[in-house]
Parts: sequence; structure tokens; C-alpha cells
Amino acid sequence: MSGGAPRRVELLQGTLDLIVLRALDTMGPLHAYALAARLEQVADHPLNLNQGTLYPALVRLEQRNWIKGTWQKTQNNRDAKYYAITGRGRRMLGEQTERWRRLAGLVDKLLTSE
Amino acid sequence: MRRFLFRLLNLVRRDRAEQELARELTAHLNLLEDEFQRRGMPLEEARRAARVALGGVEQTKELQREARSFVWIDDARRDLAYGLRMIRRNPVFAVTASLSLAIGIGANTAIFTVANALLFRDPPGVVESGRLVDIGMSRGDGGLNPTSYPTYMDIRQRSTTLSGVYAHQMFPHAMSLDVSGAAAPAERVFGQYVTSNYFTVLGVAPFAGRFFDRTDSDRPGASPVIVLSHRFWKTRFGDDPSAIGRTIRLNARTFTIVGVAPDGFQGNGLVAPDVWIPLNMASDSAAIFEARGGGWLIVGGRLKPGTSIEQAADEVDALGRALEREYPTSTGGGVTGLRVLPSSRSPGNRNVIGGFVAVLMIIVGLVLAVACANVAGLLLARATSRQHEMAVRMAIGAGRARLVRQLVTETAILFALGGGAGLVLARVMTAVVVRMLPSLPFPVTVPLTLDARVILFTTTLSLVAALLFGLAPALRTASADVVTALKDDSHSSPGRSRLRSAFVIAQIACSLVLVVTAGLFVQALQRAGSTDPGFDPRGVELVSLDLSMGRYDDATARRFWRELILRVRQLPGVQSATLARVLPGGFEGIGVGGVTIPGAPRPDSEASFHYSWNIVEPGYFETLRIPVVAGRDFDAEDIAGRAAVAIVGEGAARRFWPGDRAIGKVISYGAAGRSRTVSIIGVVGDVKSSSLVDGLAGSFIYLPLQQYDDPRMTTSMTIAARSARGRSAADIRALVGSLDPNLAVVTSGTLEDATALGLVPQRLVASFSGTLGLVGLLLAAVGIYGVTAYAVARRSREIGIRLALGARAADVIGLVLREGLLLTAVGLAIGLALAAGANHVLVGFLFGLPAMHPPTFLGAAALFAAAGLAACYLPARRAMSIDPLRTLRRE
Repeated sequence: MSGGAPRRVELLQGTLDLIVLRALDTMGPLHAYALAARLEQVADHPLNLNQGTLYPALVRLEQRNWIKGTWQKTQNNRDAKYYAITGRGRRMLGEQTERWRRLAGLVDKLLTSE
Repeated sequence: MRRFLFRLLNLVRRDRAEQELARELTAHLNLLEDEFQRRGMPLEEARRAARVALGGVEQTKELQREARSFVWIDDARRDLAYGLRMIRRNPVFAVTASLSLAIGIGANTAIFTVANALLFRDPPGVVESGRLVDIGMSRGDGGLNPTSYPTYMDIRQRSTTLSGVYAHQMFPHAMSLDVSGAAAPAERVFGQYVTSNYFTVLGVAPFAGRFFDRTDSDRPGASPVIVLSHRFWKTRFGDDPSAIGRTIRLNARTFTIVGVAPDGFQGNGLVAPDVWIPLNMASDSAAIFEARGGGWLIVGGRLKPGTSIEQAADEVDALGRALEREYPTSTGGGVTGLRVLPSSRSPGNRNVIGGFVAVLMIIVGLVLAVACANVAGLLLARATSRQHEMAVRMAIGAGRARLVRQLVTETAILFALGGGAGLVLARVMTAVVVRMLPSLPFPVTVPLTLDARVILFTTTLSLVAALLFGLAPALRTASADVVTALKDDSHSSPGRSRLRSAFVIAQIACSLVLVVTAGLFVQALQRAGSTDPGFDPRGVELVSLDLSMGRYDDATARRFWRELILRVRQLPGVQSATLARVLPGGFEGIGVGGVTIPGAPRPDSEASFHYSWNIVEPGYFETLRIPVVAGRDFDAEDIAGRAAVAIVGEGAARRFWPGDRAIGKVISYGAAGRSRTVSIIGVVGDVKSSSLVDGLAGSFIYLPLQQYDDPRMTTSMTIAARSARGRSAADIRALVGSLDPNLAVVTSGTLEDATALGLVPQRLVASFSGTLGLVGLLLAAVGIYGVTAYAVARRSREIGIRLALGARAADVIGLVLREGLLLTAVGLAIGLALAAGANHVLVGFLFGLPAMHPPTFLGAAALFAAAGLAACYLPARRAMSIDPLRTLRRE
């Protein structure tokens, strides 16, 4: 990538799933808003992420049984659906992380060598 | 307030996922609003900012919806593609499985198509046939007898539960048609006499012109108009709209064509007439419309809206009892047990048709069970070989449900292929069934249409079978224990092979039931063929005529018949010829009234003894080779004016005058007040043909045609001629044409064919279950082979060790055979028990089946045992050729 480097990072297909799983794995159960806030917070670059774009990823992950949502109350006594990673999700996260690392390493190597 | 609104909205949208999403988004917006307000924004602004941050409620919903359905579609598409790939990789398996399914599903579809046409489908053109009823006199076997015209009119006038009551003649009439008025020979058409409200009550609209209405007179013979069937209009008038208004001559009488019925309309029965004629044209004389005794009309009606069939039944029941009181049988009333039944394609025979169709449905159901068990067995076998693949997939995180879905998809593909091929096969099978049906003396059409109901039936059948039989193997496969499966794929759970054994046993048992059933019906047919029917049908040809096509009165009709039969006897090659009202075979026996024996008590237990009447010309017994046991045949001198005579069958003679000579005795017959007395001049052998069909041993009472004085009984007669070549029908046809060009031959054929008519159900069941049972046997043999071969493969190491330790060949073969033969034996035991039960049920249904026939049972069992042995033999040989060194080295 050269020229006027865009300041936004377009997420690669499937990356969002991985990020969500990772966040839930490290932070424990979160609702969608907290999740969005967390993603914005950790990103070095501001991710081009309308908070709504999280929902397709959440439904996809839930249908695959990688995460599970339950209704709970927030500290301010608001209703919110909290998502938690499942055992299967954790296993997937491990596999995907491994895969991602290898891929990233490979791409990195290819891009940096000569 | 907003939450309340949402709740209200959610009540309306019942989709749970949608509700959940809406709730979640609201919660999300609330949290965002809280956050923005906390940062000091006013409420309105916070609300707007929250929406911006989320990116729009509706867009989000749309995105989520897409993702939600995408997973399913995506998975389904992947399953499908994967399944198709698996099938391509193993085409022999796919072809075997779908072929056996095609046979099972095809047979079911074929029989259901027939059942649909006979029992469920609305007759073409008829509105709401479920609201139609048949009315008649109860017949004892659950059927209905026809009623008289006055009785019909009484029902029509007094009924309050029926919105319309129509009547039509039981069978269509063969009539001679003369379109042009030229000297061309008369054509035969079939006309049905119907009341003028017939079409209105059925709710059918004319295709062109009009139907009968009030402007058509009700006086006998006063409304010479006809309606054409669409088919007849097309073939005979070439779709010409100007046919309406034209006149044609039917039975030497001029009629005006007033309308054409819609395409496919044939009333609500199976008989398809060419033309419909107002009922009052059935006779010129009022007599037939005034007589209360004797039935000739099928009555039907339509229930008034809101009325149940029970109400109508109660009303007609009461009405019938009132009529019995008003017109007692002694004064020629003749109404007994009037009743209402749901409308049937064959009025009054719904039970018979239903029973026969049920037997066929059970047979094809068994076939489907065999096919499904076979496929399930194949699937299980394949599951074993795919254990490794499944274990790997599960190890990398595929959910069990996901795997089951994948496997069920694969099975569903097989069943879809089988179902599709089955539909095609069903067309072939129905065509075969239709070809097996004999030609009846009137045009019967069963519209065997592949309609939505049939398609739905087949689809549901395939899907349910796929789920039922695909799920068990799939669950088994997906329940594989990952660790063991990955470590060593040569071992498998014993539960799986037990399930597979169960499928093979089921297959053997069901196929055996089919083969035994076929054997029993073949027995029935053989018995029918070997029983001496009491006459010799070979070489006898039949030609039926109906004198109502010309203009005859009582005297001229008798003269014509005598003249005709004398001329037939002179035709070259004819050895003997006669005329008869009915012939032994399908529909025999006419009723002319009960018999009284002067000086003897009236035979009371009539149920155990059936006699039928026949009206014949001299030579009947010679032509049919019925032995004259005592006395003599009718002769040329037994004519009107001379002493009235009759001939009885041996059974009747024994019954009326036990231990006494019958010759010279007298009997009386006919309704009180109009009875005739005749003296017996001969005793002849009994005719047993009808007993093959209904089990009623038939003893006939014969009356001479020349002395019989009710012209209604003698207008329609059949010429029976015995000739050496057996090809006189054409000569007789030509002779009839030369004697009276108005007469068209109604039917012609051989007596052998006519006699075979009654055995059609038996023949149909025998060939159906026989063929399918043998296919089942083949499939079962493949199943046994598969199980045994698999067992050998699984135990090859064990066998190798045994051989290495010096086991003899016989030991090894015994080891292998034991398993396969045990399956066969269990299957046979269950199958024989089921077949015995089926036999018991069928004996009550169709006459002529042996109550218990050990040779059939033993023969079928031996056949299956042999097939089982053969199927085990090949794997046993393979076991023998196992090289101990090679198997052991694999360790």
C-alpha cells in the first residue's frame, strides 16, 4: 500500500469475528455497546466502525455457537444483552489466532523481504 | 412509553429473532444516550447522536437480518455442494440407493394416484363434491341398491336437508347414433339418462349452449334434447360450435343438441357417457315412472349449507320408513332400508374400493419400508467408512448438530433423486395397471392425473422417509468417539452393526411378506383356473345387442331374436349358438323376484343360498357345455301360449325338493298379484364362475326367452356362439347390420375374457406384490451380503490369527456364515409371522385365498434362506483367502 495512506483501516473479511472473540475472551461478557466502545478504545487507528456493523458479526458468531448472549441489567439498571464466549468459541479463537499469526507472519515476511 | 410501544409492536411481529433484535437495539441506543447525556448533551441531541453512532436502526437491522439468514443459506449451500461431491465420488452407491427408493416411492405414488382418482379427487367440473351424497336402498354389504322413480320423487319433494336431489340411470345405455341420416351403418354411443336438475345440483357450468332446465317438459318422451360430452363433441363434431342446435337421430328418434359439457366432466362417477339425455326420455310409456317396485335409478343429492350428513341420513332414514309404511311391499312398494352415504365415484361401493385400495397401499408401503431399510443399511455401511472423516471434522471443531445436518442433507439428496425417478416410474406403473384392466361393457374412465395432491404426497413421503431413515445413521455417524476413531478406524461401535442388522432383518421380513402374499394370490388364481367352472368358455364368442336402438315391441322383439339366432346358427363355422340375458363371469344374475314353492315352506335362510335368474334361447347349455343332468333343454316349441316351463340348476333343485325328483314340479316367481307359475322340465349343472369373485355359489333358474313377457328384461341380450375357429364375431356383426341397420353392436369379445373380469383384483395384487417382493428379496440379499462382508473385513485380523493357529476352513466358514444366517433366520421368523397375520386379514377381504397354505410359506422361506446363504457365501470365501501373514503384519 502506497500513496496517500488512508487513515482508516478496512477490516479484512473475518477479522471482526476474531476481534470480537478475542475481546470477549479477555474482558468477559460484554454487551454490544461496551464491545463497540472497547474496540474503539484499543484501536491505534480509528476503526471505521459504525456501532451497528457489529450486529452481523454477533449474530454470525451466536449462530455458530461460538458466543452466547443473555439478557442482564447494567450498573445503571438498563436492559442489555451480554455476550460471552463459549468453550467452542474459545477453541475456535485458538485455531483462528494461530492461523492468523501464520498468515500475518507470512505476509509480513513477503512484504519486508527485498 | 416507548418501551410500551415497542412491546406493542413486538406483539404484532411474531418473529422472535426480530423481537430480540429490536430489544437489543433499543437497549444499545439507551446506553449510548446515557453516555452522551453523561457528557452533557441535552436529551434530544443525545438521542440523535446515539443514532448516528449506531449507524441507523433500520440499516443495522437489515445488516443483521442478512447475516442471520446468510449463515443458514451458506451452510445449506455448502452441505448441498458437499453432498453432491460425495455422490459423484461414489456413483454406484448413489445409483443403488436412489433406484431402490425410486421403486418404493414410485409404487406408492402409482397406487396413491389411483386412490386419489377413486376416493379423494373432486370429479372434474363438479363443485364441492364433499357435500354430495348417494341415496339408495341398503344392500347388506355396506353398498346401495338403485331405487324407483316414484321413490326418487318422494325423496326430492320431502327432503329438507338437501338443497337438490338428482337421479340418473345406473349404467349408460348403448345407443345407435345416426348423424347424417344417410344410409351409413349405425354408430354405437353411450347415453345416460339424467334428471333435468342433474347438472345444476352437481354445480357444473356448460362449456357451450345450455343444460337441461325447466323449459324441458317432464312428460315421458316430451323433451327430445341432448347434451354432448366435451370429448364426444370434439371427436364426432370436430369442435364445431354450430353443432349446437343441430338434430341427430338416437335409437331412431330425433334429438336436438342443446349444449356441450365442460372438458373432462363425466358426472361424479367413473362411467364416461358420450351424451346425456333427460330422464323422461327413457321411455314413452308412463309405466316405468309409476312403478314403485324395482330400482333403476341412482339417486344423489347436495347437502344444504350448514347441514351435516348425519342430519340428512336421519331424515332419509325416517323418510324411508314412512315410505315402507305407505307402500308396503305386498302392494308392490319395494322400498327397504333407504339410506344416505357420502358420495362415491362408484355409488354404494365405497367400502369395496376403499378396502382394495387399502390392501394395495399396504403392499406398496411394505415396498417402501424395504427400500428405505435398504438405503439406511447402505448409509450405515458408508458411515463406517467415513468414520475417520467425521472424527477429523469433529476434532477441528465442527458441531455435532452441524455434522448431522450435513449427513441428513446428503440423505435428502438421495431421496430427492429417488423421489424424482419415482414420479417417472409411477407414470409407467399406472400405465401398466391401466393396461391390465379389462374392457368393461360400458366406457369407464379413471382420470389418473398427477395433480398437486399426488405431488405433495410424494414429496412428503420422500422427506419423511429421508428424515426417518437418514437421521438414525446420521446420528450414529456423528456420535463417533473422536479419540478411538482417529486412533484406529478398523474398529467400530457394536451398536452400529446392531442397527444395521436390524435394517437387514426388517428388509427380509417385509420382502417375505410381499412374496408370500403374491404366492397366496397366485394360489387363488390357480385354484380359480383349476376349478371346473361348470361350463367351458373356450371358443365361445359374445356379441351384445340392445333392441332399444331400433323400434321394437314385445312381439316383434321376440320374433327378431328368434330369427337372428336361427341365422347365426347357419353362419359358417358356428357349431352352436344361443341368446342369453346374462353370462357367467363378472356381472351375472338378474332379479325377477323371489321364488315360492307351492306346498313347500318358503326357503327362509336365503343368506346361505343364492340363486340367480337367466333368460335364454334354446341351445344355451349346449353352447356353454353345461351338462343337462335330468330332463331336457328348452326347444323351439317352448313359446308364448304353450305351457310355461323353466330349468333349474342342481343346487336349486336340491334346495327346493331335497331328495325328490325336480322334473314336473312347479315354482312361482314375481311380485304378489303378478306372479307366474312355471313347471320344471330340466335340471342342469351349477355354474361356479361367480364363486371365484364373491364366493357366492351360483345356482341359476333359467326361463325361456320366447315365454318371458317383460320386454324391459329382454331388450338387451347377448349372442353366444361356439365355433371351431373362434372367429365368428365379424360375421355376426355383418349379419346384425343386414337384419336391422339401426342396431349397433354394444360389445363383443370372448367368453374367456368376460370370465376373467372377476379375477382382476387377484391378478393385480399377485403381479404387484410378486414383482415388488422379488425386488425386495434382491435388495435384502445385497443387505445380507453387505453386513457379512463388513463383518469379515472387521474381523480379518481375528480370522488371520485363527488361520495361523491352524483353524480348519470349515471353522472359518462357519464363523462367517453364522452371523449372516442368523440375520436371515430372524428376518424369516418375523416375516412368516407377519405374513400369517396378513393372510388372515386378506382372507376376510378377497374371496378365493387359501386360509393357510404351508407350501407357499415354506417355499418363500426356502427362497429367502437360499438367497441369504448365497449372500453369505461370497464373504465366506473371501475370509478363507485371508493371508494370515499379511493381516498380522499390518499390526
